[in-house]
Amino acid sequence: MFAVHVENLVKTYDSRRVLDGVNLDVTEGEFYALMGPNGSGKTTLASIIAAVKTQDSGIVEVYGEKPAQAREFIGYVPQENFSSPKLSGRENLVYFASLLGYSRGQANQLVVEMLQSVGLSEEADKRVAKYSGGMRKRLEVATAIFPGIKVLILDEPTTGLDPSARRSFFSMIQEIMDKKTSVILITHIGSDAELASRVGLIDNGRMIAEGTPDELKRKHAVEDVITVETAAKSERVLSVVKGFGIDGKVMESEAGYRIYSRNGDRILADVVRSLDQAGHKVMRIEMARPTLEDVFFRLTQRNLQEATG
Amino acid sequence: MSQISAAHNKALKELLREKAALFWTIAWPIIWVIIGCFSFTGGAPQEVVPYIKGSIAISMTVFALMIAGMSNLPASIAGDRANGLLAKLISMPIKPYKDFIGRISVVVTLSLLAAALVIVVGIALGARFAGTGVQIPQAIGFVFLVICASVGVGLIAGTLIKSLQGAIMTGVGIAVVTSALSGLFAPYEFLPVPLQTFARVYPISSAQASIAYLLAGPDMVAYNPLTSGQVTLTIALSITLLLAGTVLYSRLGWKLE
Repeated sequence: MFAVHVENLVKTYDSRRVLDGVNLDVTEGEFYALMGPNGSGKTTLASIIAAVKTQDSGIVEVYGEKPAQAREFIGYVPQENFSSPKLSGRENLVYFASLLGYSRGQANQLVVEMLQSVGLSEEADKRVAKYSGGMRKRLEVATAIFPGIKVLILDEPTTGLDPSARRSFFSMIQEIMDKKTSVILITHIGSDAELASRVGLIDNGRMIAEGTPDELKRKHAVEDVITVETAAKSERVLSVVKGFGIDGKVMESEAGYRIYSRNGDRILADVVRSLDQAGHKVMRIEMARPTLEDVFFRLTQRNLQEATG
Repeated sequence: MSQISAAHNKALKELLREKAALFWTIAWPIIWVIIGCFSFTGGAPQEVVPYIKGSIAISMTVFALMIAGMSNLPASIAGDRANGLLAKLISMPIKPYKDFIGRISVVVTLSLLAAALVIVVGIALGARFAGTGVQIPQAIGFVFLVICASVGVGLIAGTLIKSLQGAIMTGVGIAVVTSALSGLFAPYEFLPVPLQTFARVYPISSAQASIAYLLAGPDMVAYNPLTSGQVTLTIALSITLLLAGTVLYSRLGWKLE
């Protein structure tokens, strides 16, 4: 049985199909990223799985149940900050624990553990208004990981966080995830989606590609790009570097050459060695790996960040 | 019970930490009691002045109840919707009616707190009340009718007005405008005839007149609000507003689509 099963899902707003026959399966313990630009339908899909909205047609199941019957398994963190800024972190968590039926004593005890697991023990009694964006998001994740939660849905959790806070956020997610909790991450940030075991790319309400990050890059022929700069550009240099590009695919850049390769990390040293042996001094060499944004661009001919706005 | 008390505790803490809400619900009516007790009793015979002050304290108590129900409640609902809490709550195994009861209980708590403080200040400034025996529980009954009607209007505003600012302003606007039109701030006999009719139909001003009639004495009210027809109308309209608000909130308040 899938943790989450979505089949031919359709949702329409004002005659516009925001979800147009979406299929999706997430297995137990899987970290699945749903990536797409704003307006692609990913938040609508997440909110239907989280029982917040209902579909026009199609099947949505969480552990074989309709979402409305599976609420006790679902931990949902909406995009907006929903924790109360007037309450402390501890008071917020006690509120959610009490809503879930824990007695005051049980809630207090549980909240201590949860604050610890999201790294907020020392800030527990500060008002949330004084939290940073990253701390607040951690607190809100804590509201979605109470015992019994099997599917954690995070809608754009790192929007507005700086790179360091984002890294720290995902380290926390990996630490708190047990092997049975499935995580669905909604994002438009490729580097966040890279952390998932599987990624679904969604655009205009349709799932346009799905697979592991590496599969997606391989399947959609997105290459590594090695940029090499030598002391001088010449035909002889070009003839050396051409041997490393896919089908000799090399482009001239302002100060050197760009080599397109499917296995850039393996040929990087060879490029340097070959140029050196041919008597050309390498001034600078760097490799850029393809990103999921590149895959999205290849599939839609639109830049994900521009499409997101 | 746990969900109701969770909703109650959260909303109460938030309200008690919101200085603007406390000012408009508690301090503002108290300021008007102070102003009223010093300004509006000049020409009256000395023996009547304490009861005029009592009547002013009652009017401002009713105004405090109106602000609590018509403004604080929709602000709480609209605020939770705007900041995503509602989406979070819908995704959880929670019964909407428990959240509803929790919120209402906060309005009742705050209303009673505001009412007690306004009355205490009134008494400190010389207000006297004439009610005895059965009149006090009757007056408390009318207080609850004011709360019912205010909560009903608050639920309607909180459900239909989606933005936080819009909900607050709508609630305050309804409270202030209807108070002015129904004679809460001015003697009934000074109102033009159409507004006198409105004052008798509007359940909050009718209930306020009933409380004043019971506790400050018949001389403080220009008509008898305790006729069976008038009391029936007040009860019926108060309950109707509460039911309308409850139905609307339960049908639409927990929907994001």
